[in-house]
Amino acid sequence: MTATTDTGPRRAPAVAPWLVRHVVPAVAAPVVILALWQALVRGFNVESFVLPAPTEIGAALAANLTTILAASVVTVQAVLLGLLTGVAGGVTVALLLARFRSISAPVLTVAVIVNCAPIVALAPIFNNWLGTASIASKAGVAAIMVFFPVLVNTARGLLDISPLHLEVMASMAATPRQVALRARLPHALPYLFNGVKLGATLSVIGVIVSEYFGGLANALGVYIAQMAALPRYAEAWAGILVAAALGLALFGAINLLERLLMPWHATVRSTAD
Amino acid sequence: MSDRVVIDADALGKVFDASGQKSVTALHDINLTVRAGEFVSLLGPSGCGKSTLLRVMADLTSPTSGRIEVNGKNPEQARTSRDYGMVFQQPGLFDWRSVLGNVELPLQLAGVAKSERRSRAREMLELVRLSDFARHFPWQLSGGMQQRVAIARALTGSPKLLFMDEPLGALDEMNREYLQGELLRIWDSTKTTIVFVTHSVAEAVFLSNRVVIMSPRPGQVATTVDVDLPAPRTAEVRTAPEFYDTVTEVRTALHAVLAGEEAVA
Repeated sequence: MTATTDTGPRRAPAVAPWLVRHVVPAVAAPVVILALWQALVRGFNVESFVLPAPTEIGAALAANLTTILAASVVTVQAVLLGLLTGVAGGVTVALLLARFRSISAPVLTVAVIVNCAPIVALAPIFNNWLGTASIASKAGVAAIMVFFPVLVNTARGLLDISPLHLEVMASMAATPRQVALRARLPHALPYLFNGVKLGATLSVIGVIVSEYFGGLANALGVYIAQMAALPRYAEAWAGILVAAALGLALFGAINLLERLLMPWHATVRSTAD
Repeated sequence: MSDRVVIDADALGKVFDASGQKSVTALHDINLTVRAGEFVSLLGPSGCGKSTLLRVMADLTSPTSGRIEVNGKNPEQARTSRDYGMVFQQPGLFDWRSVLGNVELPLQLAGVAKSERRSRAREMLELVRLSDFARHFPWQLSGGMQQRVAIARALTGSPKLLFMDEPLGALDEMNREYLQGELLRIWDSTKTTIVFVTHSVAEAVFLSNRVVIMSPRPGQVATTVDVDLPAPRTAEVRTAPEFYDTVTEVRTALHAVLAGEEAVA
């Protein structure tokens, strides 16, 4: 470690090793994988309907960029609506469980059992209930998928507060509401964010899969399903690529929000040093 | 020091009823009076009920027999009307609040306006000599500094009464002696009544007007030793003959308690 700092430029000794250690591997890994993919597809003459080469997918993406981006907007709206609804629901129920401890064990048990069911299987039912073309049927599936990890993680965080902190609050004559909002909820924030991060990926899955079962003609899931049926696999893969990018961007945004909201937290502090 | 009675315990008892198992008598027939402005230490071996007694005073647990008044009220009324401040063995600061935010919390919970609680919290940080750390977060401070923040927090609401449950127990010797001096200085400037739990004989003697020695199984008051040392109690007091005499007196009383214990067992 001393050696790398010594060889680095004198003005910014910390930047060069940081680049080498964190940025270079993160960029290099996908580049290597794409190059291997390209070489294998070309080298073994793999048919395009089995697996298109990255260059084909790139070309399809470029040619259909406006269509795919417009479709993404529709899908992102459903994803965000589902995520927000699921998080709001999960946090609300978790707060109720922390307030009324006697119901927490039965409710959490039911939550875990329901969470084991494949919730995307509800997508056709939701289309039937709320209308195939409506954003609510897509967001609804996503919201239910988001609800459980947020509930279970947040409830854990709310109940996990130390007896010492509860006694400190009691010694200051805090009301139950103040204990919930000033002690339990801030303590549960890291847990809540874990739930939201799980929920963000689930929410994208929920909406895309719901769209496979039908939806607005210009939604991303509908686009992928249609292209795969035509079959225009390079276009389908381009849609999948954008869907993956959406999930990644959402995850990144939540990570950023977490850092902004919790500068005190150990996971943030250690990397900030 | 006045004659006003702040703590008045009369035949106080506390039995922990471990259902299905043998019940434990933590406190038995405690009679204790603390007057305004006093610094009283509760001293004894572990299991003597000194912390339990303090927690009964603070309404963090309730007695099972007898009577206790805090500021002429029952402990719950005293707690909910914010009559006391409390410092625990661990600082118990909230990680997501700055040092200033932690110190102003009691006033925030009491509904005091922001500008007023800010300036009050700053005064308290000055009192514990941590003004430069107002914007820091607890994890950026050493254990001793965190405990000083906890002391500032307990004092923010200007309570006339301070409960301290082995507040310096987790600190190293040098930090502890430094904070003992600070505590006496704060006690002198705030005229607060302090009930202080400790298992250190020297600490109890150095800080207190009166040392209440407790004995275990069941927890009860064995004897009380008045401490008559010159004021102000500076670090030199620790090497004074009178200090050693009182320490010896307390230690002898404590050993009598422990010997009695062994005789019973």
